[in-house]
Amino acid sequence: MSGRKNESRKNDDLVLGKHRFVSRLLMGTGKFRDRAAMFKAISASGTQIVTVALRRFGEDGDSDDLLSPLLRIKGLTIMPNTSGAANAEEAIRAARLGRELSGSPFVKVEIHPNPHHLLPDPIETYKAAKELAADGFVVMPYIPADPVLAKRLEEAGCASVMPLGSAIGSGRGLATADMLKIMLRECAIPVIVDAGLRSPSEAAAAMEMGCAAVLVNSAIAASDDPPVMADAFASCVKAGRQAWRAGLMIRSDNASATSPLTSFLA
Amino acid sequence: MRNITKSLPEWLDPSQWISREYGSREIAAALESESPGPGDLAALLAPDAAYSLEILAHRARAVTRRHFGRTISLYAPLYLSNHCSSGCAYCGYASDRDQARRKLSLAEVRKELSALKRLGLREVLLLTGDKTPDAGYEYVEECVRLAAGMFPFVAVEVFPLTVEEYRGLVAAGCSGVTIYQETYSPADYKKYHRWGEKKNYMWRLETPDRALDAGMRWVGMGFLLGLSDPVVDSICLLRHVEYLRRKHWRAGISVSFPRLCAEKGGFKAPRPVDDKFLARMICAFRICLPDTPLVLSTRESARFRDGMAGIGISKMSVASRTSVGGYAGKVRGGGEQFGVNDGRSVREFCARLKAAGLEPVFKNWDAVYR
Amino acid sequence: MKIVVNGKALETRPGVTLADILAGLNARAARVATMINGNVIPAERRAAAVLHEGDRVEVLAFAGGG
Repeated sequence: MSGRKNESRKNDDLVLGKHRFVSRLLMGTGKFRDRAAMFKAISASGTQIVTVALRRFGEDGDSDDLLSPLLRIKGLTIMPNTSGAANAEEAIRAARLGRELSGSPFVKVEIHPNPHHLLPDPIETYKAAKELAADGFVVMPYIPADPVLAKRLEEAGCASVMPLGSAIGSGRGLATADMLKIMLRECAIPVIVDAGLRSPSEAAAAMEMGCAAVLVNSAIAASDDPPVMADAFASCVKAGRQAWRAGLMIRSDNASATSPLTSFLA
Repeated sequence: MRNITKSLPEWLDPSQWISREYGSREIAAALESESPGPGDLAALLAPDAAYSLEILAHRARAVTRRHFGRTISLYAPLYLSNHCSSGCAYCGYASDRDQARRKLSLAEVRKELSALKRLGLREVLLLTGDKTPDAGYEYVEECVRLAAGMFPFVAVEVFPLTVEEYRGLVAAGCSGVTIYQETYSPADYKKYHRWGEKKNYMWRLETPDRALDAGMRWVGMGFLLGLSDPVVDSICLLRHVEYLRRKHWRAGISVSFPRLCAEKGGFKAPRPVDDKFLARMICAFRICLPDTPLVLSTRESARFRDGMAGIGISKMSVASRTSVGGYAGKVRGGGEQFGVNDGRSVREFCARLKAAGLEPVFKNWDAVYR
Repeated sequence: MKIVVNGKALETRPGVTLADILAGLNARAARVATMINGNVIPAERRAAAVLHEGDRVEVLAFAGGG
């Protein structure tokens, strides 16, 4: 695993396609009580990538233009998501609309056909991701924590994979840890945990595992104090990343310095 | 067409669970279960339950918060017509009731919808009585098309339609169909549905399948509390939901708890359900269906609604009129289907929700763009 | 002639352009993305995009999402 050495901070950028980022905390903009809380949280988090959704203009009165205030935040990349799309064709259309609006090539491919568990459709996601990658998008697909699917998407040209930590609303944190670990061993592109993270410590755990970044939305938006929570997440993401780079003491059954078992053979 | 079943379809049959004994061990197991099933629901609803409703309510609230945050989705019903050809013994609209009959013209529908929109609502449920020549499929389709141009989410609660007709509604912009089986007991169903198309038990039972086959995004399920044994009906309802989740894996399914209440004809509920039992039912369903929207209407009192909001309940109607029209001003004729017990305005109700730490939501983020 | 904008039926004069529709929606100041019959129409082509009977127009903007 490259990057473990204690190199200068400059070399620990998150690399997505040809783009480099310092922050390893991505944020969603949904479910905030109000705009002010959202912008304060974005600012407090130090995030450099936020996801947004596409909606029909004019349906919500004052909250129509999210783009202008976001564009005013320096160094922020807008990543439209394709949520609402039921299949690849719709997701591709949503991505193209999003790119036109944001001016950014980033897209989070999100296709969840079932409104209860909101789990992503791997087949439609793969189809959409492949076509969008060929069309020059920086594709960030939201997927089940499936290591084989992840490699397929890597080969199809995605910039990262975004496996869920657990199903939205299940409250299970990093339930997919075992699958994530396999993914981390095999993926050459960044693995970014999305969905299911409930607390800063879970974000730290994901980073200590070796994940490249995390995407957090509800845990910040629905907290009592989003800007403070965003700051807490940012600290934990940094701490987890540092810990991973510094090399965690492996907790294992393999060795104990105090009472060696095989000293009798010496 | 058969209109009674001698035996229920295997996927619906509750027999296996209703003849059992449920004690504190079964209840504890139900609360521990990773995926509670009909037996667990039956345990939680058992009449001699020795546990406290308070424990159930805490669990229900925690589960609701995980899946729905602190949001309460709001919608309003709009009665398009109270013409009816059927003879449900318990309904103010039954064709033998002395009731002024009224049907909204499209112009009136538009006026009513505008009024609802001005109140802030973004989801509307269009209702009619059972099928009549005056208010048949074409009328419903036209109203749906009109409403879909004004609201991001339109659902209907009308008489059962064919797959082709549901396809027509989907194309017109309908996103959901609400249909209550009233009771899953074929014997009681026969007793209370005296004449008309509504007599057909299986046709009604298979309605959610037809709607979903036609591409409808959501179905709303439930049975009429007070008509028959609520524990047996609850087990059937849970099994029905599970059956639909398995068969239509893309579908959205919600569950409502319509309770028989006073109507002009004076029908008395043969198996009345009190507040405590309804509260327990809602909590039990929340525990067994953690990610399913659970809906409470304005049939219920303000006190009960305030109590259950966020404790299991994630969706509620507001500012309802159950007379035909009624939002845009006085409508001549077209009396109420049932009495509304929570008459609070949208503003009042939202203020109450916010004071309780809940967040009224008028439009779900799931609103689809195509 | 009749067109559909964001799901709603609209009566307009023949020869109306997508830019006209946006002006009518007061969407000039806000940033929006547009489609006609499922085809993305970039901003620079809106003034020239003439609408025809039965066209389905979508005007979209960013909103909060995860």
